[in-house]
Amino acid sequence: MTPASPRRAAVLGGNRIPFARQFGPYAKASNQDMFTAALEGLVARHGLAGERLGEVVGGAVIKHSRDFNLTREAVLGSSLAPQTTAYDVQQACGTGLENAILVSNKIKLGQIESGIAGGVDTSSDAPIMVSEKLRRKLLRLNRGRTTLDMAKGVLAIRPGDIGIETPANTEPRTGLSMGEHMAITAKKWGITREAQDQLAAASHQNLAAAYDRGFFDDLMTSYLGLAKDQNLRPDSSVEKLAALRPVFGKGENATMTAGNSTPLTDGASAVLLGSEEWAAEHHLPVQAWFVDGEVAAVDYVHGDEGLLMAPAYAVPRLLARNGLTLQDFDYYEIHEAFASTVLSTLKAWEDEEFCTERLGLEKPLGPIDRSRLNVNGSSLAAGHPFAATGGRIVATLAKMLHEKGPGSRGLISICAAGGQGVVAILEGA
Amino acid sequence: MPSTETFREAPSLARVFVRAAVAGKKSGTTLPDTELVLAGHEVDRGRLMDYQRLCGFAVDDALPHTYPHLLGFPLQVELMGRSSFPLPLPGLVHVENTITVRRTITASDVIDVAVHAEHLRDHPRGRQVDLVTEASVEGEPVWSGRSTYLARGKGNPDAQRGAEAPSLPRGFPAAQWSLPGDLGRQYAAVSGDVNPIHLHALTARAMGFPRAIAHGMWTSARVLGALGRRASGPSTSHVWFRKPVLLPGRVDLLVDRSGPLLVAGLRSARTPEVEHLVLTLETA
Repeated sequence: MTPASPRRAAVLGGNRIPFARQFGPYAKASNQDMFTAALEGLVARHGLAGERLGEVVGGAVIKHSRDFNLTREAVLGSSLAPQTTAYDVQQACGTGLENAILVSNKIKLGQIESGIAGGVDTSSDAPIMVSEKLRRKLLRLNRGRTTLDMAKGVLAIRPGDIGIETPANTEPRTGLSMGEHMAITAKKWGITREAQDQLAAASHQNLAAAYDRGFFDDLMTSYLGLAKDQNLRPDSSVEKLAALRPVFGKGENATMTAGNSTPLTDGASAVLLGSEEWAAEHHLPVQAWFVDGEVAAVDYVHGDEGLLMAPAYAVPRLLARNGLTLQDFDYYEIHEAFASTVLSTLKAWEDEEFCTERLGLEKPLGPIDRSRLNVNGSSLAAGHPFAATGGRIVATLAKMLHEKGPGSRGLISICAAGGQGVVAILEGA
Repeated sequence: MPSTETFREAPSLARVFVRAAVAGKKSGTTLPDTELVLAGHEVDRGRLMDYQRLCGFAVDDALPHTYPHLLGFPLQVELMGRSSFPLPLPGLVHVENTITVRRTITASDVIDVAVHAEHLRDHPRGRQVDLVTEASVEGEPVWSGRSTYLARGKGNPDAQRGAEAPSLPRGFPAAQWSLPGDLGRQYAAVSGDVNPIHLHALTARAMGFPRAIAHGMWTSARVLGALGRRASGPSTSHVWFRKPVLLPGRVDLLVDRSGPLLVAGLRSARTPEVEHLVLTLETA
């Protein structure tokens, strides 16, 4: 028996709450609060109250242990039918886009008719852990049966054991922060301070212009008094950014500042996907087709490759599978973890040695038309609540492609901690 | 013509309670013809968030079904604490509450709240009065509440009772909640209702209760919070308060959605015969 040929999966809309800076207006909001708000806004806009969807896939990178069923809890707190299934995924900053791949794949296979992919992260309402020594002693104390066990357990705790730890943006295997990793890669690729600041200024200016023309009106629900991304500085300029002191890397050649690196933020996003039939039944116009996705990982642990360079490997595999070249796109959405991430990736694709030796290609992928890159701003301006970024980008790009018209194409590239990268192709409908 | 008194800030309940506690005996058969208004109230988002969390509502920009009651309550107490009010404030028991939400109110709406008393009447166990709260946004009525209070005393056995409460749903609990001993203090911090019967076992004992009791409006808000989002949009709820919930304690939530009206109830988890409240909810 031959399997039925897969059908298409449509992006039907998206919603997010504005992203807030760490300890800003969402300081007291939990991941569940924020994801529920993003979900509910999407449900309200598309008239899905009481509807049983195929599934909702969400997740957060930084999660409290009590939030084991974060996405399911958010569904139960929304107006969706409680019979809608849900699960959590965690793939660092790639979470949101990976979720869109998962939902679209199930739609393509006919396993579900509709679904929501999203993600959320808070850098404010972070879990606090006790020191590892104290944790082990407390667990032992908890197992104690007799008063003597308890007394022994309590007495075993030393003042030095008492300490708290918060999650850090550090790679467990290298001890280097993401910024420190990126600084090494930026130096290897010779990315200048000026080029980074230019990209950062463009991100702010593009995002501000998108707000000005009302682009986000049907992609956002205001939350806790915030109606726009808090990190956005419409008056950002290369001159202003040039005044900032480097924070990552060392010495004279340090180039990475707080202005050309994404700040810690809080926020949530969600994207509605469905089959063509389901969309028609619900009178929801198709914005874009979710064509394909690919994930790559690199060995960053031994310094072989840069931590955030995996998308450089994922994209050529995705292009080859779909018979496309890097130049076949109307829009490029390359997540701005750092300005230097975007620039290193672009430079790698233009580099003969990298493309032939590392990617095994015959020739470089070549340059892209930079006027098509992150045209409505990206993470440097909007902020980057880790798992929420994928949903932000998919919804934004789908709308841009819909405006551009059928057959237009967009490429998404998102780097992630752990040396992974998630990329995808969308096509306008 | 009723007179209107406008407040820019809600009166402090602590002061009203103290004043009422030392006030002399009250009598009379007429209600003050005064309307108390809290004008141009801007929602305090921090307080809203604390309230949403404490009552189990979603933490977002929609005001919970019961939230405007919080704004009207200080005006109710102010009115009932005055010498012109015929019933004594200490000992008034909140026995029923109805709320109608006409449209979803958001945290960015600027709200006017008006409170008046009406329908003073005999009851088999004393006398009852309704405190009516109307909330509006830019002149548009968006929410109304009717809180019925009973002053226990010489009743009139022939007096008419109000609408009959449905019976508490039976069967297995939908949920079981452990209520902490400091719940009354937590709710007092958010609501401003510092009635001593809710704060501590000692102050509650002084008022004749064995332990502190949960605020009735917390219990009904918590039940509505558990019923999901349907109640923040157009809807009407009617709650009948029965026996108070002693703190700390465990309660069972029961929900019956089989009839035309959703019926929910709270009963003691340990002694199921002890019923705390019955509530109906009608949504558009």
